[in-house]
Amino acid sequence: MNQFITAVLTSLSTGAIYALMSISLVLVWRSTRVINFAQAAQAVLTTYIGYEVITRSGSFWLGLIVAVIAGGIIGAGIDRLFMRQIFKRASSGPIAMIAPVVATTALLGVIYSLIGFIWGISYKTIEAPVSTNGLSIFGSVVAFSPFNLLVIITVTLSMIVLTILFQKTNIGLALRASAHAPEISRLSGVKVDAVRTLGWAIAGGAGSLAGMLYIPGSYLYPNSMAVLLVFGFIAAVIGGLDSLFGAVAGAMVLGFAINFSASYISYKLVFPTAFVILILVLLIKPNGIFSSSKGRRD
Amino acid sequence: MSKTITAKKRLLAFLLLGWVLLIFSDRVGELTQYRGAFVATYALAIASIILLTGYSGQLSLGHSALMAVGAYAGALTINNLKLHPIIGLFAAALVAGVFGLVFGYAAARLSGPYLAGTTLALAISLPTIANQFPILGGEQGLLFDVGAPPARLGEEFSQYQWFFWISSLSALIMIWLLANLLNSRYGREFRALRDNPIAAQLAGINTGLQKAMAFGLSAGIAGLSGGLLVMLISGVSPSAFPLSLSFLLLAGAVITGVYGLGGVMIGGVILVAIPEIAESVAIALGGSEGFTISLPDFIVGSLVILTVLFTPYGIGGTLHKKKHNKH
Repeated sequence: MNQFITAVLTSLSTGAIYALMSISLVLVWRSTRVINFAQAAQAVLTTYIGYEVITRSGSFWLGLIVAVIAGGIIGAGIDRLFMRQIFKRASSGPIAMIAPVVATTALLGVIYSLIGFIWGISYKTIEAPVSTNGLSIFGSVVAFSPFNLLVIITVTLSMIVLTILFQKTNIGLALRASAHAPEISRLSGVKVDAVRTLGWAIAGGAGSLAGMLYIPGSYLYPNSMAVLLVFGFIAAVIGGLDSLFGAVAGAMVLGFAINFSASYISYKLVFPTAFVILILVLLIKPNGIFSSSKGRRD
Repeated sequence: MSKTITAKKRLLAFLLLGWVLLIFSDRVGELTQYRGAFVATYALAIASIILLTGYSGQLSLGHSALMAVGAYAGALTINNLKLHPIIGLFAAALVAGVFGLVFGYAAARLSGPYLAGTTLALAISLPTIANQFPILGGEQGLLFDVGAPPARLGEEFSQYQWFFWISSLSALIMIWLLANLLNSRYGREFRALRDNPIAAQLAGINTGLQKAMAFGLSAGIAGLSGGLLVMLISGVSPSAFPLSLSFLLLAGAVITGVYGLGGVMIGGVILVAIPEIAESVAIALGGSEGFTISLPDFIVGSLVILTVLFTPYGIGGTLHKKKHNKH
């Protein structure tokens, strides 16, 4: 029973972090039809920025806020200064099909190497504001820590903020409209380009938050979030790539599947489980399990 | 120009190139031979990406994993079945090809970003999975030994020259076969599928099958190059096939130009040269360890971005465009 409760709580906590990464991939996909593979590098970069702030100021929360804001600015900058040029110049022929993916993976490499230039390749650690040691329940220590609880609370709060933003504000309406039907939105007076950049900014912020919550209890180095990116992607695919709710639900499915197979069968099953789920979803329901509208295959 | 003449000309060109390369290998030192073997291996791997991306319009970030499949299959054939190393290389291509065919069949319905993400997941998870099978040797991996060069080649014939012969001949033969294939019905079908899937389907091309076949073929070639790669480093382990290898090969293909096989050798040279250039630059600038290690990735990434922005057709592309204007 103890093991079951621990597995549920850990699943919620890891699922919450995957959900943030998944949301940031979905937001960019919705606005630009690109999987932003560079998101992993953006998140690492802003986590390093957060690391610097935390080392100087001693406050985890200040570092978190600075990292999220930096993530938003970097995301918007990449859309404005980089992706638009790519779309403008590589617009025809077979290269147009692969240019966005190639460009984001190349950007991933460039940002990683810039991080290597500035901070080196040694492992850094970020102290969590609360303990990352397992709680003791009924006298036995479980794998669920106070920090895991904090992760769940932080992610839940940010989900509420995002939901309000998307469902209750005009900006949210513009974001949803231009994702759904960019041409009609443009005709109705929505500044689709600006909205698209805003999508990238929110995505960058969500990715940064994921990074800041992922690293305490682990190590920070240039390539530390490749796995987070892949799990975020799998979660997004489970959810149908187009839906924010789907992204969160997909992340939870993935979090539960991974943690339960790891704690009940073997920790070696983390990657095989994730991979099998991805392949199954793609084979059986390529539009995603939680996608309400007809999915796209482009 | 009739088709048979071009095919004959191509065969002649390849024979000539092979002959020049073998003569060349006698004249140069061991380091150049070793580098040359890497160039041939990378050129072959780039060719497999060009086949997949340039001709069939699919994108893979998982070719490092496919190379790993080939490399492990080859090592097992040589070590456990006690077969000749050359058969091991065949097995590398065959097993990776079958794996690619199955994977490609599952992935055939995916396009663009889905396929990229799925292959990315493959590249990240396969080495970790390989770690967990004792037969694959875990973290240390397996030995991959092609043996000493045959005695009849003479005393002077070094191991590195043997490496160079094996990899350059394998690469030449495979790329020649591939060039012929791409000029045949299949090549035209691949291109039709890439340029206009719906029209291709209406013309009676089985989309899913063709895509799966292209993926399987590409995987087979990648598997062979994986076998060659571990031959050069004498052993196969999960760490020999990091995700960055996939990115590197894709970068090589993009810089070379994904439209034609003409530039693959240039691509191979670039991939071998960049780390060496980066190292000397880093030494000259006296940078830190982080700088030295990160510089090659920085150069590769920047080159790819510049290529996509300014010459989206790659180095080989200018030639290709001229050829098209002529017709």
